[in-house]
Amino acid sequence: MFQILSWTIRYLFIGMIYYFIFSIIRLIYLDIQSIHNRGRQSQAEVYLKLINRKDRLDFDIREFYDLGTVTTIGRNKSNDIQIMDKYISSNHTKIIVDEGAYFLEDVGSVNGTYLNSERIEDVVELKNGDRIGLGQVEFLFVKEVD
Amino acid sequence: MFKRLVLSGPINILFFINFLFFGLLFLYIGPYDTDILLAGAGLTGLMMLAYFIIVKAKMGDQYIFLILSVLTSIGVVMLYRLNPYYGLRQISWYGIGVVLYFLAYLIFNWIKGWENYGYLYVAGGLILFVLTFALGTKVKGATNWIKISGFTLQPAEIIKIFYVFFIAAYVKFPDKFKNEYIFLGLIYVHIMFLVLQRDLGMAVLFYGIFISIYYIYFKDWRLFYSNFLLAIPIAVFSYFTMTHVQVRFEAWLNPWRDIAGRGYQITQSLFAIAEGGFFGVGLGLGRPDYIPEVHTDFIFSAICEELGIFGGIAVVLLYFILIYRGFKISLTIRETFKRTVALGITLTYSYQTFIIIGGVIKLIPLTGITLPFISYGGSALISGFIALGILQALSKKSMDGEEVAIVGGQ
Repeated sequence: MFQILSWTIRYLFIGMIYYFIFSIIRLIYLDIQSIHNRGRQSQAEVYLKLINRKDRLDFDIREFYDLGTVTTIGRNKSNDIQIMDKYISSNHTKIIVDEGAYFLEDVGSVNGTYLNSERIEDVVELKNGDRIGLGQVEFLFVKEVD
Repeated sequence: MFKRLVLSGPINILFFINFLFFGLLFLYIGPYDTDILLAGAGLTGLMMLAYFIIVKAKMGDQYIFLILSVLTSIGVVMLYRLNPYYGLRQISWYGIGVVLYFLAYLIFNWIKGWENYGYLYVAGGLILFVLTFALGTKVKGATNWIKISGFTLQPAEIIKIFYVFFIAAYVKFPDKFKNEYIFLGLIYVHIMFLVLQRDLGMAVLFYGIFISIYYIYFKDWRLFYSNFLLAIPIAVFSYFTMTHVQVRFEAWLNPWRDIAGRGYQITQSLFAIAEGGFFGVGLGLGRPDYIPEVHTDFIFSAICEELGIFGGIAVVLLYFILIYRGFKISLTIRETFKRTVALGITLTYSYQTFIIIGGVIKLIPLTGITLPFISYGGSALISGFIALGILQALSKKSMDGEEVAIVGGQ
């Protein structure tokens, strides 16, 4: 009885260990892909970093975006950061600096802006490590303090 | 999002693996002893709790701990199957190890300026070596154990960490050690102590770490090659002066000539691996107890026998991913000292895995060293957890928030 159980279960064991390895290797694959198209030229202290890496997105996006005094994001050409995602409005959101602090504000988008998975209603302050979601993409807000 | 994260993904698979493993063990070791189920539940609970803390507290890389957990689970189950006493001991070492993992993480982040204590690391290492000689007891032909009121301790496992810190401190401030020759001298003193203790695996390991980091950081090619080639006369010299090196070497070249004596261990290991075939004979159905020292050095053969070569390759792949994570962390760090520490820790565990797995499958001469996180042994497990706790602390800064989002975003 035990013998039969052990014989059958060993396949399950091995299968599961490989499944575990597979699920981690998948992440490694996405990781390497992101190294491939990394190209952060300037060394600004405060920047946005793309984090949700789907296998493919049908528009151009950069890995890093540096932030100025006022940074607007949207589909329109007049924005500082132009992302041609169809779920992003022409003028979607903006990030403002006030006395060293960064604030996120939605400027009337259709699908909304999300901070750490919660839709924002009015202006909120950004902290290092916050996740900003808009359309299909998600950015990590990085403010290096050292 | 955290809820989703914990309930899906790799940790869930880990839970099922452990569930099956310990369920089977419960049936294997009769009369049905509920201790096994309790131990298994405790182990799995501890793993999930620690993983949850790492994710929740945003402690950087999440995968290191997951991979360690799978490796330790496989190790604990094999040890339990070989001897329930070893299994229980290993679980308690694992508990202590996890606590030290978090402590190492906190202390490494808390204290600043680790790079300034280069001489302290050398002194710590050498004092431990001298203590090993003064108080050491001889176990299996190597004087590398200290016995303190019933507890045995292998100082070389702790010295490994000091050694990595020492090299990193030198890379950061080469001027602190007057000149390069003093640094080289100190390195060779470490290695010489290990050779004198007859701990060949460790000596090879220390040399490997040193030569790799030297290759990466130093531009003086002539000095690099002379160090690299120095290994050959040392190896030849030790072959002719030390009999145990000769024994190991001959057992590697042709174990069949003296199958009942010198070649016994390695041939039994090869028989066990061959017996396993592709999918193994099934947990609890093999006879790994024919191999001497199966619970420490030769545990990989036991895994190959009972889970097959696919199980063995899975273990190797797990080490691959672990080492990949280590290299990735080290590449993302900009500061030299921290980068070298991350690199050194990664190299330590990669060489250690290679030396012992290569040894038991007769790819290279066998040198006794533990298989990280799987072999039975408190010192090795604890020092491993401390080292990787430091790696975890190093990963914190380099990838804040990034990894959490990858899993959550799928």
